[in-house]
Amino acid sequence: MRPTAQGITDGSGLPRYRPQQTEQPAPCEAACASGSEIRSWIGHVAQRDRTGLDAPEAYAKAWRTLTDANPFPSVLGRICPHPCEFGCNRSENDGALAINALERFLGDWAIDQGLGLDMLDSEPKAETMGVIGAGPSGLSFAYQMARRGYAVTVYESRPMAGGMLRYGVPDYRLPPDVLTAEIDRIRELGVEIRTGTAIGADISFEEVRCAHDVLYLGIGAQMPRLLGIPGENGPGVFTGTEYLSHVNEGHPVDIGTRVIVVGGGNTAIDAARVARRAGAEVVIVYRRTRTEMPAIPAEVDEALDEGIGLELLTGPIEIIRTEGKVTGLVTQRMRLTEPGPDGRRRPEPEPGAIFEMATDTVIAAVSQQPDWSALDGIQVQDGWITTSDLGLVDGAMWAGGDVRGLDIAGSAITHGRRAAEQVHAKLRGLTAPDTDRSTPIGAERVNFEFKETTTPVHAPHLPVEVALQNPTVEPTATITEAEFLAEVDRCFSCGLCMGCQQCWMYCTSMSFTKVADPKPGSYYTLSLDACEECGKCIEVCPCGYLEVAPP
Amino acid sequence: MQPSSVKGPGGITTSPSRARSDGNSVVGVHITRTAAGTPHGQPGLPDHAAGTAVPTEPLHVPETDRHRHRRRPWHQSKRPSLRTNRSIQRLVSRPADDSDAVLEDGSRIAVVGGGPAGSLFAYFLLRLAHTIDLDISVDVFEPRRFSHCGPAGCNHCGGIVSESLVQMLAAEGINLPPTVVQRGIYSYVLHMDAGVVEIESPVEEQRIAAIYRGNGPRTAVDMPWDSFDGYLQQVCEKEGARLVHQLVIGMERDGDRPVVITNDGATTYDLVAVASGVNSNFLSLLEPDAAQGRAEVSRTFITEFELGADRILETLGDSMHVFLLDIPRLEFAALIPKGDYVTMAMLGDEIDTDLIKQFLDSPEVQAAFPTDSMPAVCSCAPVINVKGPERPFGERVVLIGDAGTTRLYKDGIGAAYRTAKAAAETAIVHGVSAHDFDQHYFPTCRAIATDNMFGRLIFFFTIAVRKSRYARKAVLRMTAREQRRRTGLHMSGVLWNMFTGSAPYRDVFVNSLHPGFLYGLARSLVVGVRPSHPEG
Repeated sequence: MRPTAQGITDGSGLPRYRPQQTEQPAPCEAACASGSEIRSWIGHVAQRDRTGLDAPEAYAKAWRTLTDANPFPSVLGRICPHPCEFGCNRSENDGALAINALERFLGDWAIDQGLGLDMLDSEPKAETMGVIGAGPSGLSFAYQMARRGYAVTVYESRPMAGGMLRYGVPDYRLPPDVLTAEIDRIRELGVEIRTGTAIGADISFEEVRCAHDVLYLGIGAQMPRLLGIPGENGPGVFTGTEYLSHVNEGHPVDIGTRVIVVGGGNTAIDAARVARRAGAEVVIVYRRTRTEMPAIPAEVDEALDEGIGLELLTGPIEIIRTEGKVTGLVTQRMRLTEPGPDGRRRPEPEPGAIFEMATDTVIAAVSQQPDWSALDGIQVQDGWITTSDLGLVDGAMWAGGDVRGLDIAGSAITHGRRAAEQVHAKLRGLTAPDTDRSTPIGAERVNFEFKETTTPVHAPHLPVEVALQNPTVEPTATITEAEFLAEVDRCFSCGLCMGCQQCWMYCTSMSFTKVADPKPGSYYTLSLDACEECGKCIEVCPCGYLEVAPP
Repeated sequence: MQPSSVKGPGGITTSPSRARSDGNSVVGVHITRTAAGTPHGQPGLPDHAAGTAVPTEPLHVPETDRHRHRRRPWHQSKRPSLRTNRSIQRLVSRPADDSDAVLEDGSRIAVVGGGPAGSLFAYFLLRLAHTIDLDISVDVFEPRRFSHCGPAGCNHCGGIVSESLVQMLAAEGINLPPTVVQRGIYSYVLHMDAGVVEIESPVEEQRIAAIYRGNGPRTAVDMPWDSFDGYLQQVCEKEGARLVHQLVIGMERDGDRPVVITNDGATTYDLVAVASGVNSNFLSLLEPDAAQGRAEVSRTFITEFELGADRILETLGDSMHVFLLDIPRLEFAALIPKGDYVTMAMLGDEIDTDLIKQFLDSPEVQAAFPTDSMPAVCSCAPVINVKGPERPFGERVVLIGDAGTTRLYKDGIGAAYRTAKAAAETAIVHGVSAHDFDQHYFPTCRAIATDNMFGRLIFFFTIAVRKSRYARKAVLRMTAREQRRRTGLHMSGVLWNMFTGSAPYRDVFVNSLHPGFLYGLARSLVVGVRPSHPEG
């Protein structure tokens, strides 16, 4: 039972529950790395009957709201670890909304419909933007500047745009044509992407710097980092990104029949699953336990289902080579210390517990760093760039994405958008949108009794054997339209009116008036002249949009 | 004096002799279900209704055919040519003026509102249908959960059920469990400026039960009681009704059939019973052809004080306290003990903070109930129906409970019971056209409305008493005298029935014309002019 709203007692000892309508931040949006207005785009679909939209109109409106922040819904709908779902208030009740699956459906629908991205301001601007790196961050910046009327040129060393999305994510997780379709839409806004143009080799950094008023560095963290153990230099040892990139580019990679992947992040899991699809016996070696693994839990589960082994609390100490060829990995059994002052448990070697694992290939997916070899004159600290919170390096140079620290694609997209908002505001003398987010509304304010208990939609998986035999086929399908509509209906629109009509229906003093032009968040006006202050409306409100007004 | 047959707060003893039905709603009923057995002795049907069953031609439908008919979706059945044999037979035996809009196998019925009227309607409808082997489905729409504490899970009323209603429900097979009755009330105390008098139940077994419509006030989390309305919902669910936790946001027509609209979509029904009460704005969404006119309402104020059971026993005891004070704009106020809480119910058209304060601060209230030391935890200002709509029905639509007709100022649940039962019987036995409801349901509403006229007369008298210190003293004196002697309980009976709603207003009125009453009143009035009298 949720605790009821705290009333205010007046002098006569009577409880007073005077309502006020207050929009509160949604937890899904607060948790979303790409800054998408999730509650809002879901609302366009879920509340379409109340706002008079038919389904395609509602989908289009939802997609436009979604792509206002994130131009890659189809991509992120597949690869994002969806922190939004962990934020969802329903996760504490009967399971979070499958927001990621909804995003994927909407993204695929828009690709099918051939929808184009929206311009915000078609007035051409004099300033030009240069972007180095056509990954999610650089393209996000390019998109946000282009739709504000700026000319944007993106320099990309690889033959195709997409960055890690293209070269670091296996095809079964992200089909290349989906990525291409979403990048093409950014191109359609007038963004020029010069692929195969490496800074330093094809064009000098200075030249690029001089050609544009503002420069955005989205170079990612492409420099592989090895394990720093004996025997790692030579054939048979790859970094995770190296291996994935080779496979995605279509190069044959000889990995033998036994592969050990070192690491616990998404790259490690991806590399392991790609190697498994190549027919190898694969074991993942990780120093901590599953709890500490940064990889998406569902991806780990799927890897295990595919027959990939998992050696936890295991650290590599030496790669054994016989006649130059990798034959094994010597590992050290680890244990976790008691939580330190920062609450984290660190791995430490368990004395004497050293053992050897036979293998043909070692893939080290432990870390990467930005590659500064071609960009001279940039201040870096321990290999990473230092910027302001919003990504300003200095003067007219901004940076975002993995170059600022390894993170997920959603964060890279946010970096690009935030920088673009700042640049545009600065150039036009405007005020950039506020980036502060107050505490989101909690589950205790949501009236879960309003909807039936339901489980989230779950897209069916291909059988493991089929998935392994078809290394480029997605093992999960996009949800159906019916599933999509059922899932959006699960949203409680935490913190914003969804027009359920309960306050209007039960108010005996007729304090709520329906608005003529309803839209998500705006269905009723509230006048307190006749209010009896019984608080019924506050209690029935499923969204927590109504709260007790201060005296 | 505690009636000997009453076992305790919840152990309500059934008295079959009081299991009377509303005769006017079943007059002229001719039910024939000879093939499936006669309804004689069926618990839901009054004997005089069942007894008139005309044994016409028995159904000669082979078993397989019957099942086929039953499985046919309702929307495929066309009236009247494709009516099942059973329906034809029902039609044949129905009075000639009944329409052909009838419930058939597969018919779908929606009940808008899951309070007592809605739940009881669903219960009676399904039970009657089972009796004649009619296969219908009933959806009861109620978005709120009565397990919720506070006004959002409550149907806002004083929470008094008269013993006569408790027993009528028992005769219908609905036995209120002990957890539903917060406290049995054995007497009530009348407070006036002239003095205080306690009136015990004038007739054996005329106890009243204090209940919570929802799960109690805001702070009442994890209390060991159950909601009255919630219990009735369980009863109708057990009978086969489907509870739909959806807010109905509109009603339209698809041809002559009503369509119920929720946030999830629209569903067509063969009959809609509107049991929305008057505290939801649903009635304003009804199209004019659904019913004529709107119920007239008056405002009340209800608040809950948290005091603890022990303290309540000390101050209020097992009594309902009624205040007839000369405070302008306040018609009536009562304090009702319920477990750890006390419900304060006030009646008046313009109740505001000042009036509430004036009442609570009055010496009469302060003497019985020192409010400054008690936190009020929950309050609401619901409206009550004081006059039903002109025509509480339409084609395939019927308004029951407070949305239709109710008793003036009290016993709303009793009226919900009567209207729900009459509407259910009309729908099953006669049909669901406006004409059917006009002929067979409306008389019950009119009977209540007529009784309310007597109620108004009595309240006119009450106001006169309230405004005259002289009359107040006379009433007090007469009641006190009766209570001392426990004989000739004329004034006591009138007051008891008036405030508890145990008897029709007409009976109260007739009792007040009793020579004993008039003599007692006259005597008390005369005594009143002799100021030296010790009873003054």
